[in-house]
Amino acid sequence: MRTKSMNSTNSMNSTKKTYAAAALLALAALTLSACGSSGDDANAPVADVSAESGTDKAATVLDKPFEKPDLVLTDTQGKSYDFRKETDGKPTLVYFGYTNCPDVCPLTMSNIAVAEKEVSKKLPKSELADLRVVFVTTDPERDTPKALGEWLKGIDPDVVGLTGDFDTIQAGARTLGISIDPPTKDKNGKVTSMHGTQVIAFSPKTDGGYVLYGEDATVEDYAKDLPKLLKGENP
Amino acid sequence: MRLLTGAAVAMAAVLTLAGCGGEDTGGSREGGLKVQSAYMPQPVTAAMAAGYLVIENDSDAADTLRSVTSDIAQDVTIHKTSGQAMESAGSDDRAIPAHGRLVLESGGMHLMFEKLKRKPKEGETVSVQLHFAKTDPVEVEMPVKSATYQPASARSNKSPASSSFVSSSFVSSSSSSSSSHH
Repeated sequence: MRTKSMNSTNSMNSTKKTYAAAALLALAALTLSACGSSGDDANAPVADVSAESGTDKAATVLDKPFEKPDLVLTDTQGKSYDFRKETDGKPTLVYFGYTNCPDVCPLTMSNIAVAEKEVSKKLPKSELADLRVVFVTTDPERDTPKALGEWLKGIDPDVVGLTGDFDTIQAGARTLGISIDPPTKDKNGKVTSMHGTQVIAFSPKTDGGYVLYGEDATVEDYAKDLPKLLKGENP
Repeated sequence: MRLLTGAAVAMAAVLTLAGCGGEDTGGSREGGLKVQSAYMPQPVTAAMAAGYLVIENDSDAADTLRSVTSDIAQDVTIHKTSGQAMESAGSDDRAIPAHGRLVLESGGMHLMFEKLKRKPKEGETVSVQLHFAKTDPVEVEMPVKSATYQPASARSNKSPASSSFVSSSFVSSSSSSSSSHH
């Protein structure tokens, strides 16, 4: 028996993991759809969405998926990379970060890389072949194609690393509910950059960004969910 | 005061005995301070690495983590991931309250090693010296773990049942947990 108040409590819990605007959007969407149902018990889709959150699941499934950002940037080979075109109809994971980041950025990317390796032991190669893992730098000045390429080589050479105009990156991130300020330099020349708070999974079926992972998502979380994400299913 | 110190040392001895497995996770102690759960995730390159540890203070005097040095890196700084950005940790952040602890963990405070002489590999150890305002320096042998290693405490943090317990134990001093060691 799932009541409306339970739904909203659950969705509140889930948003704790991801404090970005995306989560707020998702919450707003949930709240709106809950209101729309006006006490009717037939609001099954809403219940399905928030059913994810009461558990310790890392994934937050969005009621209203994000559109793919229009990002045309430069890859680690120095070639132009049209994100929408290159990832069209492919399961895609996106993270915004920077390489001069000791803590969260390498952990997030390594978690995905190791999970992918684990999944590759169980699934036929063809199923993973379509997966695109994309790392977009938030610090394009320092993260040149070469610097990005060297860093990603240490994690997983198959990851697509993108750099380019900061404004383009910032605008693309914003459409995913990720707000990033330009890197700042203090008087000692130390640069402070920002990283995104979450990984976004795009469905191969709809191309919508429909699942969010917070920074606390582990290798196990990704390994467990990847087979479903590859098919555009809800984890 | 002396008596108290003596008591602290006695308690420390007990704690050391009770702290089984502390050695292989980089356990070290000096005075009332005990360092444990130290690890470095294997870094991506030799340009930058992170380090994590927990400093427990079972004495009656607060202390502050002043600085950190290591022969493996030119620069070791104490940083804090704050929201989406990283900043230098201020002295408040580095305080180790009496009967409390200072937690350096992924997503929070961490040591940032820059310009490493070589890239540390999983299975190796890195020597790190912690310098305090009052207590003598503590030498920590920090084991290098896999890039995706997460200590057990971080994993249990994920479970909603225990999350409130874990987060409150970061905030409050560990007086209750240290008494359970007796």
